[in-house]
Amino acid sequence: MKLHLRVWRQQSRQSEGSFVTYEADGLTPNMSFLEMLDVVNDRLTKEGQEPIAFEHDCREGICGSCAMAINGEPHGPNAGATTCQVYLRSFRDGQTLTVEPWRAKAFPVIKDLVADRSAFDRIIQSGGFVSVGTGQAPDANAIPIGKGIAEKAFDAAHCIGCGACVAACRNSSAMLFVAAKVSHLGLLPQGQTERKQRVQKMVAAMDAEGFGNCSNQYACEAVCPKEISVEMIARMNRDYAGAVVDQI
Amino acid sequence: MTLERLGFETLFSYRSGGILTVEALESILFLAPSLQTDDFLMNKEILRMIQSSIGRKWIVAVTGVLMIGFVVVHMTGNLQMFAGTPDKINGYAHLLKSYPLVLWSFRLGLLATAALHIWGTISLARENRIAKPVGYAVAGRKSRLQVTLTSVTMVISGIILLGFIIFHLLHFTAQVVDRSYASMETVVGGVTMPDVYRMVVTGFSKPWISLFYVVAMALLFSHLRHGAASVWQTFGLRDRNSAQFIEMGSWILATVLFLGFSSIPVAVLLGVLKL
Ligand code: HEM
Ligand code: SF4
Ligand code: FES
Repeated sequence: MKLHLRVWRQQSRQSEGSFVTYEADGLTPNMSFLEMLDVVNDRLTKEGQEPIAFEHDCREGICGSCAMAINGEPHGPNAGATTCQVYLRSFRDGQTLTVEPWRAKAFPVIKDLVADRSAFDRIIQSGGFVSVGTGQAPDANAIPIGKGIAEKAFDAAHCIGCGACVAACRNSSAMLFVAAKVSHLGLLPQGQTERKQRVQKMVAAMDAEGFGNCSNQYACEAVCPKEISVEMIARMNRDYAGAVVDQI
Repeated sequence: MTLERLGFETLFSYRSGGILTVEALESILFLAPSLQTDDFLMNKEILRMIQSSIGRKWIVAVTGVLMIGFVVVHMTGNLQMFAGTPDKINGYAHLLKSYPLVLWSFRLGLLATAALHIWGTISLARENRIAKPVGYAVAGRKSRLQVTLTSVTMVISGIILLGFIIFHLLHFTAQVVDRSYASMETVVGGVTMPDVYRMVVTGFSKPWISLFYVVAMALLFSHLRHGAASVWQTFGLRDRNSAQFIEMGSWILATVLFLGFSSIPVAVLLGVLKL
């Protein structure tokens, strides 16, 4: 199997990038998209050229680092899958694929396909945690949590912080990510104490990072590899209003 | 863009410091030490929250719903044109105008509502443009990214609606488009009052005016197809189960408003409504 690639190459944060064309040959349909990039990089290395920089870690869809857009779609063409879980059988033999880093002001490109997503870390630092006394692990069932709540919190907790929601959004809004984090903790009893401050601080941090504003088009939900629902955003909008009312 | 050249930049920017900002309030605070009380500082926090991304989305949604309420009532009132007798709509218009205090409170309230809506949307939209400086070289599939025509054209449909609203006010309220409207009078039940029926029929007899009204109503349709569904999400009332009903509801509302408003100019042109 063969693919024509147009890959974004950019030396550093400061430099201008451009597309470079590569022919990827000797592929099989069962290779993952990242394995295909490995094949290309092997060749580039052997030819003495600089390999394409891209982020990856787990290669099993749980770490959220394999951030790249394939033909303008973050994480490629399949629903509910990260780039590392996209296999070449999703493409036609001989197809041309344009591969780009996340595009958002708040995610500046560092090199080639790697964008700096540390804005997400700073949002988490602003309130995406519960303050608890450390010590022995508590008993597993010491705090009873209803099945419905547990499921919902778990749905939100699935977010792997990949940033595809921001990448897909016309406004580079981070609402789905922030909403997932706010809801995950805000739904559980352990997260109640700091619930009001959490939503307030995380939204302030989100705004300060220069993400855009949600215009309710839900591209985020469509590309989210963990299929986080925009219900979480509705929940956060409600939670935020509650926090404002609380101030009064 | 042109908006910036018009000086909207400073007026509408919130994060980069414009007129309507927390920073502006802070300078007032600096000038008036008596205001530096705990209570006031707390209010400042509220102000900051209201001006956040979500805060402004709430403002846009609340003002949007108020305007939807207005257009629904307005359309219902207008449909009295079809009552069979001009007296009906003339009497209604006369009734509305006989309580100037109520009338002017409504007018000013609506003006403030529209101003807030526009301030909110323009400031949000401006930040959105800044947040996505470069798009993708190849656009993803529209179906995948849930791109809808009505949702991506909110700013343009809104701005044209604003133009329409101004024209509409000049046309039937200030009556400067055609000065002869001001002298149209009728007598209902012994009371002399403006002949609104005659004014409307005369106005819509000009095809270009009717056409402009129908086109504007098509844009209202477009704006509310997305807007009326959006508000549920902004208010936190949309979930997986209600989503399909909300989308359907916005189609129905937008269609009813379009047909209701457009029926009048169309009926005049077809000769159904005549003097
Ligand atoms: C007068 C000029 C107007 C402008 C410039 C304007 C602009 C906008 C914009 C840009 C949005 C944001 C949409 C989004 O990104 O989701 C919006 C939302 C909305 N507009 Fe307008 N609009 C105008 C008039 C109106 C009128 C007359 C109505 C009501 C009849 C209205 C009702 C709404 C509603 C309900 C929303 C949705 C709020 C939400 O997203 O939660 N707008 N408008
Ligand atoms: S919400 Fe989905 S798309 Fe956004 S960061 Fe989390 S997992 Fe990625
Ligand atoms: S490499 Fe970890 S999710 Fe793809």
